[in-house]
Amino acid sequence: MKVRHILLTALLGGTLLGPMVMAKEVQLFNDKGFWTGPLQSVAKAAATNGIALKIAPYANAEQYKTFIQASVAAGRTPELFTWWTGATLGDLVATGQLAPLAGLWKEMEADGRFQPGIKDLFSIKGQPYAVPLQLSRWVVLYDQRVFTKLGLKPPKSWSELQTVAARIKAAGHTPFLATTQDGWRGFIWFQELLLRTDPKAYTGLNNGSVAYDSPAVRNVFRIWSDMYAKGWFSDPRSNEEINDFIRGKGVMYLFGEWAVGLLGKAGFPLKELGVFILPNAPGVQQAAIIVEGAPIVVSRKGAADADTMKALRFWVSNQGADTWGKASGNYIGNDKVPAPNTIISQVNAQLAQGHHTLFLRWWESVPATLQGEMVAEFNRFMLKPDMTTAFNVMKRMQNLNTTYWANRKKT
Amino acid sequence: MDPLMHNNQQLLNRIGLQHIQAAEQARQRQQFLLALPFMAPALLLVGGLLLLPVLYNIWLSVTHWQLFAGKDDFAGWQNYIQLWSNPYFDDALANTAIWVAASVVFPLLLGLALAMLFRQMPGQEWFKSLIFLPRILAPTALGVMWYYVYAPEGMLNQLLGMLSGTAVQIAWLFEDSLITPAIILAFVWQSCGLVMVLLLLGLAALPRDPLEAARLDGAHPWQVFYHITLPLLSPTILMVVILSVLAGFTVFDLLWVMGSSYPQQRTLSLAVFMYFEAFQKNSWSFAAATAMVIGGVVFAVSCLQTMLQARVDRMVR
Repeated sequence: MKVRHILLTALLGGTLLGPMVMAKEVQLFNDKGFWTGPLQSVAKAAATNGIALKIAPYANAEQYKTFIQASVAAGRTPELFTWWTGATLGDLVATGQLAPLAGLWKEMEADGRFQPGIKDLFSIKGQPYAVPLQLSRWVVLYDQRVFTKLGLKPPKSWSELQTVAARIKAAGHTPFLATTQDGWRGFIWFQELLLRTDPKAYTGLNNGSVAYDSPAVRNVFRIWSDMYAKGWFSDPRSNEEINDFIRGKGVMYLFGEWAVGLLGKAGFPLKELGVFILPNAPGVQQAAIIVEGAPIVVSRKGAADADTMKALRFWVSNQGADTWGKASGNYIGNDKVPAPNTIISQVNAQLAQGHHTLFLRWWESVPATLQGEMVAEFNRFMLKPDMTTAFNVMKRMQNLNTTYWANRKKT
Repeated sequence: MDPLMHNNQQLLNRIGLQHIQAAEQARQRQQFLLALPFMAPALLLVGGLLLLPVLYNIWLSVTHWQLFAGKDDFAGWQNYIQLWSNPYFDDALANTAIWVAASVVFPLLLGLALAMLFRQMPGQEWFKSLIFLPRILAPTALGVMWYYVYAPEGMLNQLLGMLSGTAVQIAWLFEDSLITPAIILAFVWQSCGLVMVLLLLGLAALPRDPLEAARLDGAHPWQVFYHITLPLLSPTILMVVILSVLAGFTVFDLLWVMGSSYPQQRTLSLAVFMYFEAFQKNSWSFAAATAMVIGGVVFAVSCLQTMLQARVDRMVR
């Protein structure tokens, strides 16, 4: 009787404790050291579901890329790791080391978690190879207090945008905040102006069919230099963009939604933050928005491992997405969970109304080997934003572009 | 052969010098073989961590490195040809030459002037410590500090504004013509302390007799410095030059931190150019070719300096 009692207790204990016994540890390699805290929150939430998710951050993107490249070249691709979308994802997919995730996406779309269209951002040649780590739309954040004081409303057309900017300038404020901080931000206004003036050229630029000194690009630089000439931009040399916005050095801030979290942490009262999508230039009908999608990918070995797929499924689950959203302020596109902040919910509402086409950010779309040199040229223009510099910049960018596509054809 | 030499040779042969020489060589060989096991760990370390990577780098520089596939198809001189036609390489090379020249001339002149000044000055230890203080700062910390000194609303512009009475907003670290001199100033500020200390050590080791004799003979202080002190100090000066040249070629931290917002950062030096090629563009074999160019230039300069060192040593003896 005593033995039977002990056995029953053990069986009961095992049943109750079973889910809490840790499965194999699944490492999520990433280069998002600044998000370690929020990622750890997701890991903690995963642990309550019997998933042992270990966050393995690299502080530096270059170190991280080198680690992944060396691992893939050695045939030891990590099971679960973050990467970049677009051309860079294509290079990784071409190695054959990544697992396609069509089955998972089918589940996610079927139950309404993700809208159609989002999958395409994480697909190569129609096949999805990643799920979102975060999905950020590039929008104009603005200080509502200034708008209210000047009696302004978010512009819905290009001419309204010009009027709003002119009124802000006339009132002694700087309309737009834009810097070359950290050396990568130079492309932000270029990509937005190109999409608003010529969406076809935006796509063509990154598949080699449109030149960097084409009429469409010249038009962008003309508009951009004109805006600088009117004094509509803040000092590009600043290294404190977030603080500059808080200090009122620019009223409108074109950036990814993920800046909301940074603004909040730096002390900006988020209830005073408004958002709108930059309107199209006259003649452009297509409603569009630039999206930055940071992916999590899984290797073929990882896809064959039950624990890894369990961790991945948790990430895109309602609980996972909600935990991540609350901890980081990031949105992964899961519509079944509340938006992490009001800005994201406002953008969702605007997109639902406008049926905007999603365009992948320039940074991901441009071939990886061209990224650094191209953005350095954009930065160069921002520091001396006249048409003489613009022509020189366009010439240099086109030389780099031509060399890249010529070498690509050879290999 | 000179008859005197021939006689000497005969004498040496008679006393069995050849046998003595042979025995000495055998003894040295034996000692070397005995020492080899003790040297082995150091040799393995140097070989494994230094020589092997260099040899691998030489191989890598003549291959095509595929990004993920890791294939290294032989490419001959293609990477080197591509290097010379790269639009940023010329600027990087020119800036490196400026760096090397500046890293030798300015710290040496300033360090020598400070060494001569503090040599016999009351309270010299306090001044020497103050001048040496920047040397103990990490280069990255120093770079961040100077970045804010040079910022558009930084200390330097504020000072110039106070002196001129108008607002000054010079973009020291953003203008093509200003960024390299600005960073060189930070480098000189950091390194002149070490140069001063090395030269002070050299000055302390100089024999006093020639200097006193010259003074007694009525030589002017400048004549004593130019004709006696400087030649006697030349081995130390040459050592300082060698260290400064190497520092000039390998400078990275300051350029990385202070040039972070400069659009053409990759042209600031060959070392920075190589970093961008290797880790931003992932062109590993192209970066290997750049490393070979840097290594080749440094090797050539080192050989030249070694020859000069030998000549100076002979002159001083």
